[in-house]
Amino acid sequence: MILHKTKQASSCLPTKGEKIKIPIQNTTYSMESYTQGLLTSHLDDLAHPVVMIIEDSDEDFYTFTRVTQNLDILKRSLYKFLRFKDGDESLDYLFREGDYQSLNAPLPVVILLDLNLPGTDGRDIIKKVKQTPHLQMIPIIVLSTSSSHIDIQTCYQYGANCYMLKPMGVLEMQKTVQILFEHWFQLALLPSYGQFIV
Amino acid sequence: MQIAKTQLDRLDTVNLTNCDREPIHTPNCIQPQGVLLVLAEPDLRIVQISENAPDILGIAVADLLDRPLGDFISSDRGDLMQIIRGCLEHNFENINPLSLTVATAHEAPRNFNGIIHRAPSGEIVLELEILTAETGEDFFQFYRQIKATLAKMQTAENLAALCDLVVNEMRVITGFDRVMIYRFNEDGHGNVIAESKKDNLDAFLGMHFPASDIPKQAKQLYTLNWLRLISHVNSEPSRLVSNYKNPHPPLDMSYCCLRAVSPAHIQYLKNMGVTASMSISLIQKQQLWGLIACHHHTPKLVSYEIRTVCEFLGQLMSTELATKENNENLDYKLHLKTIQSQFVDRLTKSTDFATEITADKEALLALTGASGVAVFDGDDNIVLIGETPTEVALKSLLNWLSDRIEQDIFVTDTLPSLCPVADEYKNVASGLLAMAISKAQNQYVLWFRPELLQTVTWGGNPDYLTQVEEDGSLTLFPRASFAAWQEIVQGNSNPWLSDEVEGAIKLRRAIIDIVFRRAGELTNMNLELESINSELDAFAYIASHDLKEPLRGIHNYATFLLDDYGEALQGDGAEKLQTLLRLTTRMESLIESLLKFSRLGRQELRMNSIDLNSLLENVTELFGMNPEWENCTIRIPRPLPTVFGDRILIEEIFTNLISNAFKYNNQPEKWAEVSWIESSRHNHRCVNFYIRDNGIGIREKHLDSVFRIFKRLHAPSKYGGGTGAGLTIVKKIIERHGSKIQVESTFGKGSTFSFTLPIQKGASPPSPLSLADRGSKMLFSCSPLLQEEGLGVRVLETSSVINIKK
Repeated sequence: MILHKTKQASSCLPTKGEKIKIPIQNTTYSMESYTQGLLTSHLDDLAHPVVMIIEDSDEDFYTFTRVTQNLDILKRSLYKFLRFKDGDESLDYLFREGDYQSLNAPLPVVILLDLNLPGTDGRDIIKKVKQTPHLQMIPIIVLSTSSSHIDIQTCYQYGANCYMLKPMGVLEMQKTVQILFEHWFQLALLPSYGQFIV
Repeated sequence: MQIAKTQLDRLDTVNLTNCDREPIHTPNCIQPQGVLLVLAEPDLRIVQISENAPDILGIAVADLLDRPLGDFISSDRGDLMQIIRGCLEHNFENINPLSLTVATAHEAPRNFNGIIHRAPSGEIVLELEILTAETGEDFFQFYRQIKATLAKMQTAENLAALCDLVVNEMRVITGFDRVMIYRFNEDGHGNVIAESKKDNLDAFLGMHFPASDIPKQAKQLYTLNWLRLISHVNSEPSRLVSNYKNPHPPLDMSYCCLRAVSPAHIQYLKNMGVTASMSISLIQKQQLWGLIACHHHTPKLVSYEIRTVCEFLGQLMSTELATKENNENLDYKLHLKTIQSQFVDRLTKSTDFATEITADKEALLALTGASGVAVFDGDDNIVLIGETPTEVALKSLLNWLSDRIEQDIFVTDTLPSLCPVADEYKNVASGLLAMAISKAQNQYVLWFRPELLQTVTWGGNPDYLTQVEEDGSLTLFPRASFAAWQEIVQGNSNPWLSDEVEGAIKLRRAIIDIVFRRAGELTNMNLELESINSELDAFAYIASHDLKEPLRGIHNYATFLLDDYGEALQGDGAEKLQTLLRLTTRMESLIESLLKFSRLGRQELRMNSIDLNSLLENVTELFGMNPEWENCTIRIPRPLPTVFGDRILIEEIFTNLISNAFKYNNQPEKWAEVSWIESSRHNHRCVNFYIRDNGIGIREKHLDSVFRIFKRLHAPSKYGGGTGAGLTIVKKIIERHGSKIQVESTFGKGSTFSFTLPIQKGASPPSPLSLADRGSKMLFSCSPLLQEEGLGVRVLETSSVINIKK
C-alpha cells in the first residue's frame, strides 16, 4: 500500500467503484453495495476509527463483507475497515515503514487477523505487535479456519485477544461476525475509547 | 620281578621309583654286534675294551689292553694314528666311518667300519662294526635317494602328509617291518600319528602311550643322540673291561652307537614281540618333539651308512616340523576363520541369532571343535545339537554357570571337577566352552566335549604298569598286553585350543555387533518415522486449512448464487445448487474426520487415573440432554473401576460406542450396557470392558470391515448418516492405550464391543510410534546387554517390550 494511487489496487480490494469479476454464468458482480464503511485507502478517512483486516483470500473477504452488510451495528457505527492482503505490508503499515514511512494517521483500533498469510505469517504478526510497546494494546482478533489446538494455543500464547473459528456456511459465518461485532464494537470498550467521537 | 633277573647285577633293581634316575648313558656294556675300545692319549693306547673283542677281532683281551691301537689296526686311508691325532682337536664326524683292517697272527685280516668320537667324559672311543653285505654300497645311491625324499618332504602339504612320507621312505630305506612316528603331547604322553608296516602286523596308528613309557633321562639322551639302534633284544650285552687299578668313573656312552639299552626297555620291546628296533629323534626348539620308531621282528643290523641317511632324514624332518606344524595350525585356523566369517556373514542378514547360528549345525560344532552344543535363546527355548546333556540337566548347569561366567566366556576341560552334578553327564560334557550373549536375558551358547576316556585308545592299560613290592616300593612292569585299552582319565576332555575359544568370542562379538547395528538401524528408523510424522503433521495442516479454504469458498459462493439468483435459476437449478452445498458440507466433515484420525495417531496422551463412574455420568448426562436419544438407556450393572488413560479420548470411546448402539437400533426401547470383567492379561493389571446393545447387529461378513475408515454399512440416508470414521477412531484410541477392540454380533439382535484398559500406571503404556516389529524383538531382548556395554538404549514402548521386560 503506497501513497500513490497507482499502487492502491494491490493492497485494497475491492477498490471503490471497481468491479470484481466472478466467473459464475459469465456475469460480473458488483461489490459496491456491500462496501459500506470500507476504506479504499488508508488516506480516505482520518477522522474515524479504523479496523484493520488482514486477509489474503478474496473470497473469504468477500464473504466477510457480504455478511456484514446485514448488520445494523455497522450502519450506526463510525468504524471504517481497511484491508491488507499480506503480512509484510500489514507490518509496514503498523510500524510506519516502507511505503508508510511518512503516514500521519491514527493506529487501527482493532486488528482482525487471518492466520495463514503469504509472507509474514499471522502468528508472527501477533508476536511482533504484542512485543512492541506502542502497539501491544491493540486488540487482535484471530479469525481462522484452523481448529488445531496448537494454533489456538500458540496465538493466545503470543498475546492474541480472541480466537474465532471461521465456520462453514454463510449463515454460520454471519452469526459469527454478528457476535464478533456485538462483542467488540458494542459491548467491549476498546483502548481507543474516547479518541474518536462516537 | 622278572626283568631284574634277566640282566646284569647293576641293573637288576630298576623300578618305577628309580626308573627316572637309571643311568642309561653309562651302562658300562655294549650290544655285542661290535667292539668298543677306549683309547688313551697321546699314544692311543687301549685302556678299556668290550669283553666280546676276542669273538670279533680274534685277539684275546689281555693281548689288547694297554697296547697302542696301531699295533693291530690299519686304515686304507693311510696311517690311522696320524688321522686320529689330526682330529683330536677337531670334529671326529669328518672322518667317520673309517674303513679299518685288523691283522691277527693266525687268521686272515678282518675288515670293519670304525666310528670314532670323543665321549662327554673326555675319552676317545672307537667302535668297530663288522662290515655286512650292504655296507659299502655306492654312497651316491643314498645321495640320490635322499635328494628325492627331501624334495617330497618340502612339498608335503601338511604335517600328516610329511609324517606319512617319512615313515614310508624310512621303511624302504631300512627294510624295517614297521616304521612309526610317535608324537609327544604336552602332558608327556604320546601317540602314533603315522605308520608304515607290513600288512600282517596290527596297527598301532592312533594309539596313545603313557608318559612313563619313555623316562625323562631317556628323552634327555635322545636330544643328544639322534639315532639309537637295538639289533637283537636277546643278545647278551658285552661288558667293558679294563686294567684300571683304582675305581674309575664309568664311560659316558651318550654318543656310542653300540650302547646297551636299559633292561626295562628290552623287556618292553620283547612284550611287543619286537626283536630289533631303531629310533630317530625329532627335535624342535631343543625339545624332543617325537620319534621315528622302527620295529623288526627278527634280528637286524643297520649299516653305518644307512643309519647316517636315517639320521639325516630325522634332522631334515625336524627342520620341516616348524613349517609344517605352523601350516597345520594355519590350516586349522583358516578353517576356523572360514567358519567364523560364514557365521558373521549370515548374522548380518539376520534378526534372530538363535535361528541363524543353529541353521548350520555342523558349522556351529566345527567353530569350536565341539561334539555338542546347546543354544539358549532367552525364551526358555533350548536348541540342542550333537551330544549334549539333557534339557533338564542343562537348565541346572546354566544356573550353576550364571554365577561363575564373569567375562562372558567360561572354558574348562574338567567340568565334573568344578561342578559335581556334571559327573552324571561327563561322558558327553567333560569339556565346556560357554558364551554368554546376555546374562540378563538368559541367552547363552554352550559347547561340549566328551570325556577323554571315550576318545583315547591306549596301547596297553597304563594303569597296570606298576605294582607295589613287599618292601613298599613300586615296581615297573613293562606292559604285557598291547590290546587297546582305554585309560581312565576321569572327567577330562581334550583341552580347548585358543583358536577355538577365539571362535566363540568372535561369534559373540558378531552377535553383539548385530545388536548394536540393529540399535543404530532402529534409531535411524525412528528418525525417519519422526520426519514422516512431521510430514504427516504438515499434511494434516494442509488438509485442515489449505484444502478446506477453497471448499469453504465453493460452499459460500454456491450460497451467494442461491441467494442472489435463486429465483432466476428456478426449481431445478436451485436444487442442484442445494446438492452442491450438501456435498461440500459432507466433504468438509470427511476432511475433519480424517484430520482427527491422523492427529490421534501422534498426539501425546495425557495419562491419568480416571474414575469411569463419573466419566460415564457425564456421558449419560450429555446423551440425556439430546432429544435425539429419547427412549435410550445406558445400563451400568456394576460400579466401574478406575482406569489409567487419556480422559478425553477414553470418553470419546464410550460416547462413540454408545451413540452407535443407539443410532443403529430399531427397537422402541434402545439400551446400551457398559460393564467389565477382570482380565487375565498382564497379571490382572488390566480389565476387560464391553458395551452391549440391542441394536440391529452386524452381519458376520461385515465384522472385519466395521473398523475400516469411511466404511459404511448403510445408505447415507439411513441411521442418521455419518462419515464412517467413528469406529476407526475408537479403534485407534484403544490401540494407543495398548489394547485391541473386538466385536461380536448377532445380526438382528445386537452387538458387543469389548476392549481392555490398564487399571494401573505402566500396565500397558501407549505407543508413541507404531513401529515395524521387524528387528525390534532382538533389540528389546538385548537392550540390557547394550546397557551393560554402557550404551544408552531408547526402548520404544510397545506392548511387546513390556512383556519382555516383565
